[in-house]
Amino acid sequence: MIRTLTAAAPVLEVPGVVVIGSQVPNLLEPNAASTLVVSEDVDIGVPLAAHPFVKAALAQVRGFQPSKEEPSVWVPNGPELIELNFVGMGTGDPLDTFVFEDPDLPLMVFGPLSFLSAGLVVDADGLRVPLPKTAGLLIEKLLTDRSAEKGDRDRLVVLGLLLVARPGDEEELVALYRDLPPDLQYATRSNLGVLSLMGPIAGMPDPTVHRAVVARLLERLEEASG
Amino acid sequence: MTRALHRRAQQARAARAVIAWEFRQRNHSKGVWFRLRRLLAMTEVAYAVSPDDAAELVREGYQAEEVGEHLEPKKILLRIPPERAAQLPNKRAVPIRLGAELLAERYLILVPWGPPAPWPPAPWGHALPPKVK
Repeated sequence: MIRTLTAAAPVLEVPGVVVIGSQVPNLLEPNAASTLVVSEDVDIGVPLAAHPFVKAALAQVRGFQPSKEEPSVWVPNGPELIELNFVGMGTGDPLDTFVFEDPDLPLMVFGPLSFLSAGLVVDADGLRVPLPKTAGLLIEKLLTDRSAEKGDRDRLVVLGLLLVARPGDEEELVALYRDLPPDLQYATRSNLGVLSLMGPIAGMPDPTVHRAVVARLLERLEEASG
Repeated sequence: MTRALHRRAQQARAARAVIAWEFRQRNHSKGVWFRLRRLLAMTEVAYAVSPDDAAELVREGYQAEEVGEHLEPKKILLRIPPERAAQLPNKRAVPIRLGAELLAERYLILVPWGPPAPWPPAPWGHALPPKVK
């Protein structure tokens, strides 16, 4: 992962760009130890306002080329790197999802990603890696409805984030949750319920030993539901 | 080239519609699973017990959870404190998953979690990652 992030450093230097997805719990571990989640790619969140700057920065990125079938994915030229997956972050309707058309770098703009805002910049082997705030990423992961294994992995990323949460993250999460419409609050709690009952998946945090963490958060959100 | 992206966007919008539909169903039969998951999430340990033990607990005043009434076949789900659960010698622990093992049981006692743990859980303790900015 670190090699891939290093190769993508010109993009990570664009203001507003953040690493999102399953790599975030790994990067939030002490010294970005990357023990929590096994991942197949690096997701990079691109605010639409930053899109032209990201395109320009991509010219300096070596070792990747855009996928012919899916140009928002940049595939590595060698086995030492993993895929870069560019995803659009809108600032509009958090419930809408659309395609941002561009001949070189089209982006899927997932509405729930608008819950993300810039958070910590962590030091990973000397590389500065911008991350979103944990609370926003938690809400996004709990709302982006995916099925089957991808959905399970997303829920376990939620668990990974809870395990590296810091003081203040809960309050931010509850504040975001309070602003959700009732059906999305319900979906958030529903996904936590599913997470609480999941079995282990290789390469992911074991939910069976952290059920108390999930129960505590669920209870907190129920209190906030009013 | 962006056909796949458009297809995924359509799927995401459909998922949003499903969320709204599930919410409207929350007080009907489809909402049973949400309520059952919520009940189990708030449970630290679950045990299968005999019909006689369940009946005795009901006589003692423990109320069966309503969600069990809405399943078919019906289940008697009783939330009881750990001290009372400890007095039941024939109970059998059941994994808290929505799997066949738990769903096959008709009489379950559910021991809730104790007082909430402090937040954040931070198993890393004081060794938080360095803050660069």
